[in-house]
Amino acid sequence: MATQNTVQPGDVTQRVGVEVIRARGVDVEKLIKMLVANAAAEFASTYYYYTILRMNLAGYEDYKEICEDARLEDRAHWELIVPRIYELGGHLPNSLPEFHDQAGCVAAKLPDPPTVVNILTLLLESERCAIRSWSAVCDMTFGKDPRTYDMAARILNEEIEHEAWFIELLAHERDGKSIPSGHFRRGEPGEAPYSKNRRFYNP
Amino acid sequence: MTQERSFRVVLETPEGIRSFCCREEEYIWDASAANGIVLPAICHQGRCLSCAGRLLEGTVEHDHVDAYFAEDKTAGYILLCRALARRDVRILTHQEWKMREHRLAKGLPAPYA
Repeated sequence: MATQNTVQPGDVTQRVGVEVIRARGVDVEKLIKMLVANAAAEFASTYYYYTILRMNLAGYEDYKEICEDARLEDRAHWELIVPRIYELGGHLPNSLPEFHDQAGCVAAKLPDPPTVVNILTLLLESERCAIRSWSAVCDMTFGKDPRTYDMAARILNEEIEHEAWFIELLAHERDGKSIPSGHFRRGEPGEAPYSKNRRFYNP
Repeated sequence: MTQERSFRVVLETPEGIRSFCCREEEYIWDASAANGIVLPAICHQGRCLSCAGRLLEGTVEHDHVDAYFAEDKTAGYILLCRALARRDVRILTHQEWKMREHRLAKGLPAPYA
């Protein structure tokens, strides 16, 4: 059984919610750094991957709509992560450039040339980085920190769906192949069926 | 038909010395995994520094790396997920935290630091 650090009654300098997961083997400081890096990537992705790239998909209105779903869902992820960072005793950098530099995935600027194939390739690789990053958080928290694990697993579910979308679109556009995602369109833009409909913080 | 070149890669890992052949267009991390040696990595974009190593001998080229700086090269740090061998190489693995300290000391981006 895990040994718990004693938090004295009325002590506001420590959190039982942190000490219990530390006692179970979570490196809380490292976890906070991972969450900040992932939050920065989600924040940047809403900006670069989807806002900028979506603007350059003229003539591909269906692709724009899928980018919009992914953009809004990544924004939902960012908003989901931030409260957990603070709950764990962490914080966001006060400087936006500093925050941007901590992102664990590349800042995907508009490719040159900004062809639909290049944009879809970039989007696909951004989703893959997100899957890897959230899988690392799941690995770190599984069986030890159910609250962070639950959050990471919800986000991971959506990133995996996003990868499937962009595989389908890129295979069609670049290779003339049909590789179905197996999904149907979201009920509304940025529906976020895992990270928003069963949200645990954001109204 | 041109035959692709390959190079000998020697890794100094916490579990001991491992070696294998790596094709010139194959990332060292991928060749390592194909040979049953799973090294740390997260992003596979040359960004997060989880795969960092130190080049002890030989030459590598970084392909499509997001942020690899001249200071990294001078200090001998490489990112195995995006590094291509250009000669036989010898690499010290598991240098992610050392590389992050180096980046912080230089005022350069250090994800997860």
